[in-house]
Amino acid sequence: MKNESPLDFTIAHNRDEFQKTIEETNVRISQGHYKATPLIGGKAITTPHSEISIDPSDPDQQIGEVWYANKEHCDQALKSLREGAESWSETPAAERADILRKIAQGMRERRNELSALIIREAGKPWKEADGDVIEAIDFCDYYAHEMDRLAPKHQTMDVMGEGNYYFYEPRGLGLIIAPWNFPLAIPCGMTVASLVTGNATILKPAEQTSIIAAVFAQIVLEAGVPANAFAFLPGDGEDIGAYLVDHIDIDVICFTGSKGVGLDIIRKASEVKPGQRNVKKVIAEMGGKNAVIVDEDADLDEAVKGVLYSAFGHAGQKCSACSRVIIVGDAYEPFVSRICDAAKDIAVGPSQNPETFVNPLIDFESQQRVLNLVDEYKNEHNLAFRGTTPHKGYFVPPCIFTDVDTTSALWNEEIFAPVLACCKVSTFEEAIHVALKSQYALTGGVFSRSPKNIELAWKKFRVGNLYINRSITGAIVCRQPFGGSRMSGVGSKAGGPDYLIQFLEPRTVTENTMRRGFTPELI
Amino acid sequence: MTSNPTAHSTKLHSEIVSFGREIFRDIGEEQPSAFNKNYWTGRIMEWSMTQPDFKTNMFRLVDVLPSLQSSRAIAAHVHEYLSESAKHIHGLVEWGVSAKPNSLRGKLTSAVVKQSVRQMAQQFIAGETPSSALKQLRRLRKLQLSFTVDLLGEYCLSEKEAEVYMNRYLEALEVFGKEVPAWKESQPIIEGHPGEISPVCVSVKLSALYSQCGPLNYTKSVQVLSDRLRSIARMAKENNALVYIDAEDTAHNPIIYEVFRTVFGEKEFLDFPYPGIVLQAYARESEEILYSLLSFAKERGKPIAVRLVKGAYWDAETVTSNQNDWPSPLYSIKESSDANYEKLSRVLIDNHEYVLPAFGSHNIRSLAFACCYAKEKGLTEKDFELQMLYGMAEPIARAFSKRGYLVRLYVPLGEMIPGMGYLVRRLLENTSNESFLRHTFFDDAEVEELLKEPHLQD
Repeated sequence: MKNESPLDFTIAHNRDEFQKTIEETNVRISQGHYKATPLIGGKAITTPHSEISIDPSDPDQQIGEVWYANKEHCDQALKSLREGAESWSETPAAERADILRKIAQGMRERRNELSALIIREAGKPWKEADGDVIEAIDFCDYYAHEMDRLAPKHQTMDVMGEGNYYFYEPRGLGLIIAPWNFPLAIPCGMTVASLVTGNATILKPAEQTSIIAAVFAQIVLEAGVPANAFAFLPGDGEDIGAYLVDHIDIDVICFTGSKGVGLDIIRKASEVKPGQRNVKKVIAEMGGKNAVIVDEDADLDEAVKGVLYSAFGHAGQKCSACSRVIIVGDAYEPFVSRICDAAKDIAVGPSQNPETFVNPLIDFESQQRVLNLVDEYKNEHNLAFRGTTPHKGYFVPPCIFTDVDTTSALWNEEIFAPVLACCKVSTFEEAIHVALKSQYALTGGVFSRSPKNIELAWKKFRVGNLYINRSITGAIVCRQPFGGSRMSGVGSKAGGPDYLIQFLEPRTVTENTMRRGFTPELI
Repeated sequence: MTSNPTAHSTKLHSEIVSFGREIFRDIGEEQPSAFNKNYWTGRIMEWSMTQPDFKTNMFRLVDVLPSLQSSRAIAAHVHEYLSESAKHIHGLVEWGVSAKPNSLRGKLTSAVVKQSVRQMAQQFIAGETPSSALKQLRRLRKLQLSFTVDLLGEYCLSEKEAEVYMNRYLEALEVFGKEVPAWKESQPIIEGHPGEISPVCVSVKLSALYSQCGPLNYTKSVQVLSDRLRSIARMAKENNALVYIDAEDTAHNPIIYEVFRTVFGEKEFLDFPYPGIVLQAYARESEEILYSLLSFAKERGKPIAVRLVKGAYWDAETVTSNQNDWPSPLYSIKESSDANYEKLSRVLIDNHEYVLPAFGSHNIRSLAFACCYAKEKGLTEKDFELQMLYGMAEPIARAFSKRGYLVRLYVPLGEMIPGMGYLVRRLLENTSNESFLRHTFFDDAEVEELLKEPHLQD
């Protein structure tokens, strides 16, 4: 397994090519080239209702029209998949793995175009957009590799006169409910995991990033996934998402999004209805309120840089983002003062600008929610820094609160925006204690140069992904399997060795090989 | 008359070897203070070269020390990093590495360790401020050594920090411009040498002057840094000082070269004497960069100075390219950098009417090559200079200086915290298995081996 290499933007030629593709994509966007329609049985369906997907950096700009599926379309899709499920489940695993490699290849061939669409529709800056695409490619290659590993049946124990075999089979029908913050990588990872394990699969993309998902869905079909093994259903989550979660034909649900929706899915999925074959398996990745500890002896150059990027990269809209910093002792004053100064000068701007550090939030609703929250929090807490933003676009200014009370909502609730809360503690042990005072346990970080404290963090700072002396976002498939526990999710790590098993049902077959007094072993 | 190239190269080679031998003979038993085992630094170096685990732990300890305030914290770190090594290294225990952090012995340990690291740093860093460095700089001039001053700093993460850094440069130029020319030692070391037009010279790390400098902000980086370099160049002109622009990593170098060409190609700065730029021989693209610098110098109509170095970002760049699965922009084998260094030296010497070559190295073979090839091409000691790092290789510097070459030392100034990063790099450089200084002063390698012609491999 080799990870796809990120684009080296230090090379002028790469920057120029990337810019050129953005411009070409912009032309196609303005010509109405991109649209999203439900894909059922391999066919694009025009539906009665459509919405326009827009550019968060400039909401006057339309990215494309999105045709919303309704419940009838869901039923059609389920019918088609029920027909296709068996034959897909019986397709040799190696063939399914090869199809994933073709999906990866399909994305490679359109790599910069996909990045450009991510920049426009999801509002991610250049590097983040490229990172999204390579992560999607990595998921395909890695899960293909993993399926090759898991596919062969194996003998549990070698016992005379009997064969004991253990192997995995698909669960049946998979439902993928995807977020907008990694508009390609996450839907792709979840979808291909479900497909490669032999489940007929529905992808329900996030409303805000349906166009990117539609391009991905097209690549999936072009790579050779049979028309009745995959359905793409853009639409309203509260309408069709909820309908599909409840549906008796769904066997496995894979969700990434907010804690509220995730817990709702887990609850609903647990209700068994008449005619339902399986108890639904739910894999849910739900969010975080991730803390970085800056030890008294930390290298502040690295700590300020690492926290700045972890908190404000992609405007804090990553489940792995840093939203709390706990600073030990005398490091507090210099750290806070340097990060506030540094935050002042990072570029807040449209995602198409290569230098943009802080991009807009995904939509108007998010922007208003966060602006109101910041107004509310600033009455109770010390807002040490508030940045400025362009007028156009769904921007919110990067904000840094200091001396934050660790029992407050600001300290405990996920905001999903460039809002950072800082607090001071007197010892490293206390810092870990405060860091863990959270309902979530996704990522965490430590900047320290004390071997003893680093060891303590390994042991006690129990989060899904712990990063030492570096930024806490940007987990790489296979290298850093990603996912959390507690209210951050159920299920094992994406891009890790236990992920695919969740889409599979293990079976054991025991065969008595003894016939009429002879056994093959003794002949 | 056409000469046989093989015979020619054999002749040059034998000259290099005999010249190199003379240098080695001049150095004799003399050791750079960094290797002197009577000093703390020397002992640390010795242990580092024989015990790799100790080396990692010791250098990590050195890196963290200045950020530690309390003696308890220092004692705790000393214990955490070194107590394992103390089991194998005789002599370490007497520093109290196993003392309890809160005990009196622990507190004494921290005072000793902090003081020792400060001394070690002072060996490579001439002072915290321009004024405090004057004494050391004057000492260098007295020894017939020229200097260029570099200002160490923390990462520049905000414009406020960029401004502080900028002001330090302006202040340094003012202080040196006022003080240095008045010294009697400021008489040119070599009369008529362009490097001695002024005794004052600074080396500027451009990326530290703009917090948002980077390839994705290319246009603005060039524009902002050009503005800031103009201010420095004006201050340098006012104070009659020379300026070198340091090269950095591959991500920043294209910006740095463009800023250099932009500012020193402007009418206002055409009379700026020998504006300096750095070329890194470990970079695969270095030859191409050199030719573009040469055409710039020709266009400008007035010569520039080019400091040829091997390059100082090898570890960081190798890690970056490795983690991202990018082809490395640098030669992976040190011998290739050495071979390329000689190739580039030839080009510089062949073009000395457009450039003042400055050969920056501690490698006697590399320097001997430059000196011998220059001589063969009819250059005199006024046509180029040699550069070395302050505190690194005094015996080598003096040996060349005594033979009539202009030797300029690169002298860093700065506080303890940013100074530690620099100190650790120097220690690494001295103790690395590939280090010429280590081979020369610690391993007692054969002179023939040290003077062998390097070949380009990869």
